[in-house]
Amino acid sequence: MNFSFLLDPYYQSLLLQGLFVTLVLALLAVFIGTLLALGLAIVRMSSFKPLKFIVVAYVEIIRGTPIVVQLIIMYSLLRLPVMLINNFDISPFIPGMFTLFINSSAYMSEVVRAGVASVDKGQSEAGRSLGLTQGQTFRKIILPQAIKNILPALGNEFVTLIKETSVLMYSGVAELTYQASMIKSETYSFMESYLVAAVLYFALTFPTSKLMAYLERRMKKADAK
Amino acid sequence: MPNNVIEVRQITKVFKDGTKALDDVSLDIVKNQVTVIIGPSGSGKSTLLRTLNLLEIPSSGQVFFEGTDLTSKGLDMNKHREKMGMVFQGFYLFPHLSVLDNLTVAPITVKKESPETAINRAKILLKQVGLSEKEQSYPNQLSGGQKQRIAIARALCMEPDVMLFDEPTSALDPEMIGEVLNVMRSLANQGMTMVVVTHEMGFAKEFGDHIVVMDQGKIIEEGTPEIIFNTPKNKRTQEFLRRVIEKA
Ligand SMILES: Nc1ncnc2c1ncn2[C@@H]1O[C@H](COP(=O)(O)OP(=O)(O)OP(=O)(O)O)[C@@H](O)[C@H]1O
Ligand SMILES: [Mg+2]
Repeated sequence: MNFSFLLDPYYQSLLLQGLFVTLVLALLAVFIGTLLALGLAIVRMSSFKPLKFIVVAYVEIIRGTPIVVQLIIMYSLLRLPVMLINNFDISPFIPGMFTLFINSSAYMSEVVRAGVASVDKGQSEAGRSLGLTQGQTFRKIILPQAIKNILPALGNEFVTLIKETSVLMYSGVAELTYQASMIKSETYSFMESYLVAAVLYFALTFPTSKLMAYLERRMKKADAK
Repeated sequence: MPNNVIEVRQITKVFKDGTKALDDVSLDIVKNQVTVIIGPSGSGKSTLLRTLNLLEIPSSGQVFFEGTDLTSKGLDMNKHREKMGMVFQGFYLFPHLSVLDNLTVAPITVKKESPETAINRAKILLKQVGLSEKEQSYPNQLSGGQKQRIAIARALCMEPDVMLFDEPTSALDPEMIGEVLNVMRSLANQGMTMVVVTHEMGFAKEFGDHIVVMDQGKIIEEGTPEIIFNTPKNKRTQEFLRRVIEKA
């Protein structure tokens, strides 16, 4: 085993960059995915059948197919022109990001829907009986209560996404797995570079899971009072 | 006509599963009166009450509120619900809001009142229901009786023309029923138009101006408390009252 690359500042910076990109991607995907999911959940709870059907189909298809396949399809669908930001072409990243957002939105939409459904029906009737519109009732009464049920699942989705961002290496996004493969091909430390990547992933996911479990316990305790 | 706040005309309610909960029901709710709806479980009392503010949409028939047909298409139902307060058996206070916010959320959101105006009125109403010291509490810190009194105050904050109560004391421990009935009593004394579904025959006798007896989705008898409780004509009314009195 040869871990000597770990002492090289150049490889250190590659790994740190990868870690950073992974984290940012996962955060973005959770955030945007949840916003999209909120929209999807609202449509799904509405009474407009055709739109409802489209949303259900979307969610089922995304959840029923592998993310790598989705990425490749997205990649061939979105043939983007070169887009320069700071002299740096970001067009290859966009299909990957899209795939990640779409994926996360499909999973989160189920979570959001369940969270909303778990709020007592009497709450919305109480809101409506006071003259609040359906939208006002949703925003002021239902959603704040639903978020409590959604939060733990949000944490789980974040952990999942930290791992799933690794598929973006296929589209050349310099996240952690991509950097590990770079190090591997430069140092020929095949297993070692991926072992380091695994440890770094775990260093992100394990504390996050633990933190979420802790927050959930605390929220339950506060509720019991 | 001007004395009827609500007029129910031949409403029928058939639920999706085919249950016929209301069968050709007509009823007048008279201004400044307390109308009490009684009847056996499953007779359609809650359903009737809930059609009054269209939480339940009648399958056929009409509901007029202050002269407006609530069942007509394209009507802004929210504007009318504002003026009908509702109190539920299960309280349904908003658990994520403080007592004060529970009372002010609707006036601020719906009526676009300034927070000061809404808070001032909320404080007056909290005093009326005897819970001024709870304004900063959260619902889970209150007893059942306190929750229901807050729920009544919350509905009153919208300054409704009529108050609907669906078994407001049924979920309460016996020792807490009195405090809620007291609040309802003082409301009745102030001349509030009230429609009350209840099993509290004592309240019905003492404060009901008009008693409505339901059975199997129909109004089988209505009249003053004296008539309904002392000389009911309908056989099923007699049976129902006998059973209720035996239980008590
Ligand atoms: N959402 C619903 N879907 C289907 N059936 C319903 C629904 N709500 C009520 N029902 C049925 O309609 C009938 C009348 O119910 P309702 O709740 O109005 O009775 P109630 O007189 O209020 O009874 P209780 O004294 O038990 O509260 C019952 O048979 C009930 O099972
Ligand atoms: Mg009922």
